[in-house]
Amino acid sequence: MESQTRQRMVFLVVSACLAAVLPGGCSRRPEGLPAGVTLESLDAKPAKPVPKGPDVSFVPPTFDALERDAKWVDRPVKDGLVMLRAEQAGETPPVTVAEALALRNNSADANASILATLGRLPAAGEADPGARLERHLRGDVNSTNPIMINSTNEFDVLGLTGFELFSFDRRMEPFATAETVASWQSSSDGLLDKVVLRDDLLWSDGRPITAHDVVFTYTVIMDNRVPVPAVRSGTDQLRGVHAYDDQTLVFFHKESLATNVWNINFPVLPRHVYESTWEADPTLKDSDAHVALEEHPVVGGPYEIAQRKRGEQIVLRRRDSWSTVDGKQVREQPFFREVRFRIIEDTNTAFLALQAGDIDELILTPEQWQGTGDEFYERSTKATAPEWVNFFFAWNVETPFFADRRVRRAMTYAFDHERMLKDLCHGLYQPSTGQFHEAAWMASKKKVAPSKQDLDKAEQLLDEAGWIDTDNDGIRDREIDGRLVPLEFTMLVAQQSIRVATCNLLRENLEQIGVRMNVQPLETTVLLDRTQERKFQAYHGGWGTGTDPDSTENIWKSGEARNHVGYSNPDVDQLYEEGRREFDRAKRAEKYGRIQEILWEDQPYTWLYWRNGFYGFSKELRGYVFSPRGPYHYSPGYRSLWRPRQE
Amino acid sequence: MTPAAANAPSQARSPGLASVARQRSVGFWAEAWRRFSCRPLAMSALVLVTFLFAVAVFAPAIAGTKPVVCRYKGRLYAPCLAYFDRRLEPAIFTHDRFRGAYPRNLQEKDPASWAVWPLLFQDPYRAVRENEWPGQPANPTRGEGSPNRWNLFGTDQYGVDVLAKMIHGTTTALLVGLVSMGIAGSIGIIVGALGGYFGGWVDMLASRVTEVVMCIPTLVLILALMAIVEKPTIWKTMAILGITGWTGIARLTRAEFLRLRNSEFVLAARATGAGPLRIMIRHILPNALAPVLVPISFGIASAILTESSLSFLGFGTPPPSASWGAVLNDARSNLHSWWLVVFPGMAIFLTVLAYNLVGEGLQAATDPRLREARK
Repeated sequence: MESQTRQRMVFLVVSACLAAVLPGGCSRRPEGLPAGVTLESLDAKPAKPVPKGPDVSFVPPTFDALERDAKWVDRPVKDGLVMLRAEQAGETPPVTVAEALALRNNSADANASILATLGRLPAAGEADPGARLERHLRGDVNSTNPIMINSTNEFDVLGLTGFELFSFDRRMEPFATAETVASWQSSSDGLLDKVVLRDDLLWSDGRPITAHDVVFTYTVIMDNRVPVPAVRSGTDQLRGVHAYDDQTLVFFHKESLATNVWNINFPVLPRHVYESTWEADPTLKDSDAHVALEEHPVVGGPYEIAQRKRGEQIVLRRRDSWSTVDGKQVREQPFFREVRFRIIEDTNTAFLALQAGDIDELILTPEQWQGTGDEFYERSTKATAPEWVNFFFAWNVETPFFADRRVRRAMTYAFDHERMLKDLCHGLYQPSTGQFHEAAWMASKKKVAPSKQDLDKAEQLLDEAGWIDTDNDGIRDREIDGRLVPLEFTMLVAQQSIRVATCNLLRENLEQIGVRMNVQPLETTVLLDRTQERKFQAYHGGWGTGTDPDSTENIWKSGEARNHVGYSNPDVDQLYEEGRREFDRAKRAEKYGRIQEILWEDQPYTWLYWRNGFYGFSKELRGYVFSPRGPYHYSPGYRSLWRPRQE
Repeated sequence: MTPAAANAPSQARSPGLASVARQRSVGFWAEAWRRFSCRPLAMSALVLVTFLFAVAVFAPAIAGTKPVVCRYKGRLYAPCLAYFDRRLEPAIFTHDRFRGAYPRNLQEKDPASWAVWPLLFQDPYRAVRENEWPGQPANPTRGEGSPNRWNLFGTDQYGVDVLAKMIHGTTTALLVGLVSMGIAGSIGIIVGALGGYFGGWVDMLASRVTEVVMCIPTLVLILALMAIVEKPTIWKTMAILGITGWTGIARLTRAEFLRLRNSEFVLAARATGAGPLRIMIRHILPNALAPVLVPISFGIASAILTESSLSFLGFGTPPPSASWGAVLNDARSNLHSWWLVVFPGMAIFLTVLAYNLVGEGLQAATDPRLREARK
């Protein structure tokens, strides 16, 4: 049971990036990445085999029976780039490109001008088809096999080489990608999804991509012997997948749920390549054949791997057979001929690389954002937009300190939120008032005022909860099981300046009301372990956003994998169950909004701030458009980036 | 005071004895000190080390926001001791809801109170707020805190005064150096003494253990330890530095004991029936100590550097505690804040240099071979 839980957790954490990073937006059950914890750290934890596998008792109906019994409803098949182009067609950039490039991004107006002008897609012939994109990668990839993806780094690279059927736009609306899918229909009872693939799809070795590849991959993913680190979860919610011919594919669901749409997308392997090798070596990495494939994988996406220098760089080359089949252009050619991922782990070094023009894009820290001067603007510019990454202090409600809601609320009242936002976050982040961002459709409609420091109130709550300094040592205490326990606990935090400073501020605040807090900065792998194993009293971290509110279920539902704090509330559990069975968005929103309100009352977290996205871009780069998941992690995401022709 | 000067009064009283007194040679340590004091660089370094000691001991009285001494509701308190250990903060101030703001609350809650304040009203762990001290502005934040009247060494990005951090960081630096080398010295001298004195299999064992420990990469060990232990503290870092840093001392001690164990005074002591322990401690050790002090001095410098490196990497002293390396680490993400680089960098450089110069001075002053060579 525990291994299942771990497995699911690993997937759910990772799937956020899967959903987020793939440029076409390969969208599984998208989850938030714990921002206090990097996905790289997961690499050290090979997933344990779990007792799962394809449902052997499942016998797919005949196609005729299927067509007879099911009432099909058409679902959207779209192209992210085409949609974005249509959206931008009616917009006029407020300034010229030259003016936008000369702007210093130090006001909301400047930022809006930069985004509206430099975020545009190219007019015909404007983009340089021979251009190269220099991307930043925080660490090397562990595997080039798409079903072995396990970290943001792999999602970044394999997102460009992988084949996908589904995606979602920047409003997080799911669709089938028109580049690969001819049609997508769901049965009216919500138990079936029928996809017809296009017939002009080729693997990089020239063989056609068919529905049988998808079924084969489903079989491999669900086989216990294959150490799939992440993508099995979600996929395991399917009853089965069946190919009725080379193009027609039907996904069979166990239940009719609003969340089924996120379970039908998983990476696809070439059957003709792995069919003869995978059973002999289910690790998919040890045999000679798999070692060779690791270096030169057969891929189905728009790019293929041209060169890989471990720890240094990965070079991807545009695949002509993606866009041109039998001498005819069947798909739009990606804007870049080559994408080079430069692996730079240290953020300061990466910043210098951006300034020097060695890389074209970088996620900036608040300090870097603030510290951009003439040298930075010489070659680069920057842009920001709200991102739904939520930071918090998490209280382990299974400890004697935080079992009482009054103590948790006291912690929230004790903290100097204003100082954090102004001095630590440089005034760049918005205060968080709960689980969902106020701009999200699932957020509570009740307006909640952001938390403010009130030390008197905090002391009153602690007094009421029985935490009083009885032994006169300056620290509040309480008798628990006949033993006097001082209110002294440890806050775990990732080894990052701003996060440690936030914890230090809380430590200082709590000391003023007789509560002793120790701050323990940890390496991210250790922090991840400690939180997963619930070996903590409190920790400071953050979650990114999923595309569906149901993705937070395993954070708050009793006993779920990411419910690190041990929170349990039958009302919340019930609302999650109802939420996934409700198809009407307005009614769903009410349920998730209610969950948000209950959580706000209970304060298992002290919610702190929403971290906005801050990005540095080369002045030669265009086409960056932001979503609540940043400029890349949706469709078209990376694919909208381009470089103008040199005059 | 030299032995010759000490004998001066008796010389006046009894000219007959004076010639005898004059013939007494000065002791080894007095001679070493004389030679040491002739070296201006070594002496300057010693002055700097002494100054740093003074700063370390009196840090809470030099920079802080808690009174050094105060009288409150008829009783005397020393809240500044909380900078050494948080448990030393008197409970009454928490109960009376001072909330860290002493100047205002002392006046408000007991007008008859008085307090002796630190020289500098700045805190090493937090930014000072506006009017916390009458007329003093809030510390500037976000990299705008270049050195100014109120913050002589500037402030970090969160508004914490760099000078206050460095003053309190002195305590950490010296503590790390002294405690770790105290441990290393104890282990090194014991292992070296046993090996050198007894020889044979004891020596073989001691030498092999020394070689094994020499192979342990200290920095990696500390990083691993920080990841494993539930509550990493500076004391555990010091213990690791001590437990792994004794090999040089042990080798020198062993060499000295090997050299001295067959000397006449040891044979004489043995002839009088002295046991091995007594011979080692009372007779050989005092004669072997001088060369051993040299690696200890260098070791202190090395330990300070290691702690700074650890803090720079972010794995040093856990918060809240000030460390020079941690200030340098802040500078990495605030490259335009030159004051975050220059002041702690200079402090580390000068301190390590000072200890090395003291070590070199000691070596020159106590090693007869070096003295011969200089002639």
